[in-house]
Amino acid sequence: MNKLLLAALVSGAMAVPAFAADYTIMAPASPGGGWDQTARTMQEAMQAEGISGNVQVTNVPGAGGTIGLAQFVNQYTGNPNALIVGGYVMVGAVLTNASPVSLANVTPIARLTGESDVIVVPANSELQSLDDLVAMLKADPGSVSWAGGSAGGVDHIAAGLIAKAVGVDPTAVNYIAYSGGGEALAAVLGGQVTVGISGAGEFAAQIEAGDLRALAVTGDEPFNGIPTLQDGGVDVVVQNWRMVAAAPGLTDEQKAAINADIEKLVASATWTEALATKGWVNTYLAGDAFDAQLTKDIAATEAILKDIGLVQ
Amino acid sequence: MSIGEPKLARRPDGAALFIAVILAVIAGIIIWQMSLMRVPPVQQRVGPTVFPYAIAGALILLSIGTAVSALRGSFPAREKGSMAPMAWIVAGLLAQILLLSTAGFAVATGLLFAFTAKGFGRGPLWQTIPIGIVFALIVWFIFARGLQLSLPAGPLERLLP
Amino acid sequence: MDTFGLLGQGLIAAMQWQNLIYAFIGVTLGTAVGVLPGIGPALTVALLLPVTYRLDPAGSLIMFAGIYYGGMYGGSTTSILLNTPGESASIVTALEGNKMARKGRGGPALATSAIGSFVAGLIATLGLAFIAPFVVKFALMFGPADYFALMILAFITVSAAFGDSALRGLTALFIGLGLGVIGIDLQTGQARLAFGIPDLLDGIEVTTLAVAMFAIGETLMIASTSGSIKDEVIAVKGSIWMTAEDWKRSWGAWLRGTAIGFPIGAMPAGGAEIGTFFSYATEKQLTKHPEEFGEGAIEGVAGPEAANNASAAGTLVPLLTLGLPTTATAAIMLAGFQQFGLQPGPLLFANNASLVWALIASLLVANFMLVVLNLPLIGLWVRLLTIPKPWLYGGILVFATLGTLGANGAMSGHIGPISFSFELMMLLAFGILGYLLRRFGYPIAPVVVGLILGPMAEQQLRRALAISQGDFTALFHSPIAIVLYMLATAAILIPLYFRLRGKGEVFSQLASDED
Repeated sequence: MNKLLLAALVSGAMAVPAFAADYTIMAPASPGGGWDQTARTMQEAMQAEGISGNVQVTNVPGAGGTIGLAQFVNQYTGNPNALIVGGYVMVGAVLTNASPVSLANVTPIARLTGESDVIVVPANSELQSLDDLVAMLKADPGSVSWAGGSAGGVDHIAAGLIAKAVGVDPTAVNYIAYSGGGEALAAVLGGQVTVGISGAGEFAAQIEAGDLRALAVTGDEPFNGIPTLQDGGVDVVVQNWRMVAAAPGLTDEQKAAINADIEKLVASATWTEALATKGWVNTYLAGDAFDAQLTKDIAATEAILKDIGLVQ
Repeated sequence: MSIGEPKLARRPDGAALFIAVILAVIAGIIIWQMSLMRVPPVQQRVGPTVFPYAIAGALILLSIGTAVSALRGSFPAREKGSMAPMAWIVAGLLAQILLLSTAGFAVATGLLFAFTAKGFGRGPLWQTIPIGIVFALIVWFIFARGLQLSLPAGPLERLLP
Repeated sequence: MDTFGLLGQGLIAAMQWQNLIYAFIGVTLGTAVGVLPGIGPALTVALLLPVTYRLDPAGSLIMFAGIYYGGMYGGSTTSILLNTPGESASIVTALEGNKMARKGRGGPALATSAIGSFVAGLIATLGLAFIAPFVVKFALMFGPADYFALMILAFITVSAAFGDSALRGLTALFIGLGLGVIGIDLQTGQARLAFGIPDLLDGIEVTTLAVAMFAIGETLMIASTSGSIKDEVIAVKGSIWMTAEDWKRSWGAWLRGTAIGFPIGAMPAGGAEIGTFFSYATEKQLTKHPEEFGEGAIEGVAGPEAANNASAAGTLVPLLTLGLPTTATAAIMLAGFQQFGLQPGPLLFANNASLVWALIASLLVANFMLVVLNLPLIGLWVRLLTIPKPWLYGGILVFATLGTLGANGAMSGHIGPISFSFELMMLLAFGILGYLLRRFGYPIAPVVVGLILGPMAEQQLRRALAISQGDFTALFHSPIAIVLYMLATAAILIPLYFRLRGKGEVFSQLASDED
């Protein structure tokens, strides 16, 4: 039996080529989540395209990515072969958890993908349009229950921004946090809550099947024929994005090398294909433009989290 | 109320009284921490402090119950335990925890293996430590190399291809 | 007929010899990794998924199904033999299973677990194929108030089922509930009882607590008493196969476990553990041998194991019909399916019929492969117990720490220049706690149960009250909740009634009357 196990394990082992590690990508989340999938997709594409001989993914889950971020800074400062995946959720998590390490402590390289949130209601809901939702929200903010991801995340922020934009006290938003999109989706489908707000991809299949009605997307462009909030007269644009960052303390040449590798990755066929199968939108943005975007997002997030009351 | 109550020892049970004190202290810590918490304006209906307070309340009741039970001596009889084997195992775990990041998985875990064996009366360490390290190195190779599990590597692991 | 035709096609595809080999490799790999304490099916699947990428869709699906079932079965094996559950869903298995193993009945325990898993997997997979749409409708009817009622029922049935002292059982439960409060509160994003330690922000990992309490606590307990107590572990006594009596007592438990586990697994906020709790409590109520519970009752292994496997198939119901990943394992599977071009969701059965049926057929084949592969190996597994204790427990600690490191190995603690894994520190601390609890006669399982159920109950209650804007009567509006509360009341009153009448002897009286 032991021999059998060993043989099986070795056969598994041989399926993975044993090159020297070129890049180590940290996914500051558990296996299976968005950041982990991003990291693993990068791993595959980088290996397939020959950008890197061997890429290792390590998972350091916890507290919206802030635990991974802190460990990344600790462990890899000055290491040009270390990357970390992150995203908008991290911005909020750094603030709500009062994390001592923030995105300012790493070297942001590029934004990779982006996803709008979508606001949905069950097919049999009396809310037909964004206007109906706004009217209900204005009449009695507490009567609109919003199902979305964890408190202080992008879904919560979007709900708060919408309330604020239509002149409703953001602290009155009746936000119901669910762990993971699946549970929130179930709550909307089961008619337990008034509206659902989460990543467009998570609800796409149900919208297509007609089980859910989409009222608006939070991005700046319509998605699958769903109008934006701005189209509906609510001046809010929020997008959930994922990024890749490198370790702090790198020289300019090292930064340039990583930038070049990521650019190659994003341009590659493997990456484009993987994005298409996963339904992710390529929103590649690097260099100064990305830095400016990041600064803007951090300031805006801090402001709304204070308005909602999650950050003092 | 329980089966296997000691028949002779109907005197206060010091260790059990100590448990009662610990339970009360835990309840105290929960209440103290919750009182420090600033509840955000959102969701004040049943806020984040309600459950912890309820748990603390229950722990206080259980602490009283434990104290009464201890005074009546109605805790089950305890077997005599020897501390030395436990000390070896705890030392092994501590050694592993402290050595992992510098010495790597195989050395740290090899020590844990040898110390545990020592706790169960198998020695001497100069024999079991090398056995443990070799065993741990094989395990490391299978899981870190074969299955890409991220396990800390030290000088020994870096020797492997 | 159409369904049968499609399933038949899927089965034919899955039965090709190279696919059977993939299933074999998958089951073997899955079992080998799943056997490690702390590495449950989710992590097993995550670790091994890349291995399947290299195959064609049919091959990777079947290998994947094999890994999944293998991972689950591996967890039960160590639970039974070594009292070290690999994951939270096999904690209940350890309660009776390990007692059986210690009496030389490890063989029948493993067999009832393997066959029970097979029976449950078979029925539940067929359920997935034929009644998924109905099950999912039922599951979606559960709102927060209903889940809260379900948790209350779970608390009551579970606490009635653990240990012989209410005081110590409840104390253990509340220690677990207290641990469950630690970390960021999901509803407000606020940290509770984290004392400024970042590693505590995400709360206490259930697997860490379970592995510590069982594997480390058990090792310490055995080490401290091995000098004074004679070695009572007997590897094999009597047949390693199930006797006619074992079969008679198992099959009902398998079916009940399946009936409990499947729908609970299908619930978006259900989870495999809860099914195992309910199954254990049910078997304890229905058994004709109540005196054996806590001493190694085979029903207590058969039921929960079946429930565990059935709920795994149940998890696939919302995943395949709605695209809802309700567990970590399901989320990883979703990633896996996307690799094969499957886009789970309401249109999946319409758009990808052949692949879905190939998957379902793969599950059936893998399930079959598991039992075929493992029944002959039971004799070997049981020999684990004949390994001399120093090596056996040395190995257990090596694998327990390996699993914990692999799952959550961040070197985030610091003492001066030395960085260490905070998770391992917790493993040690909870291990010592587990030892102390054992020593003072506290049951271990309620601590883990409290940690699992507490946060669920709290979140559901607060969601229910937030949605109703603070109206407490909303907790009793839904018929599902009312039924669950009635069951909970019955679960309190019926044993109480019997105890008042016969001081607890009525059950054994009844049992002997019927025999």
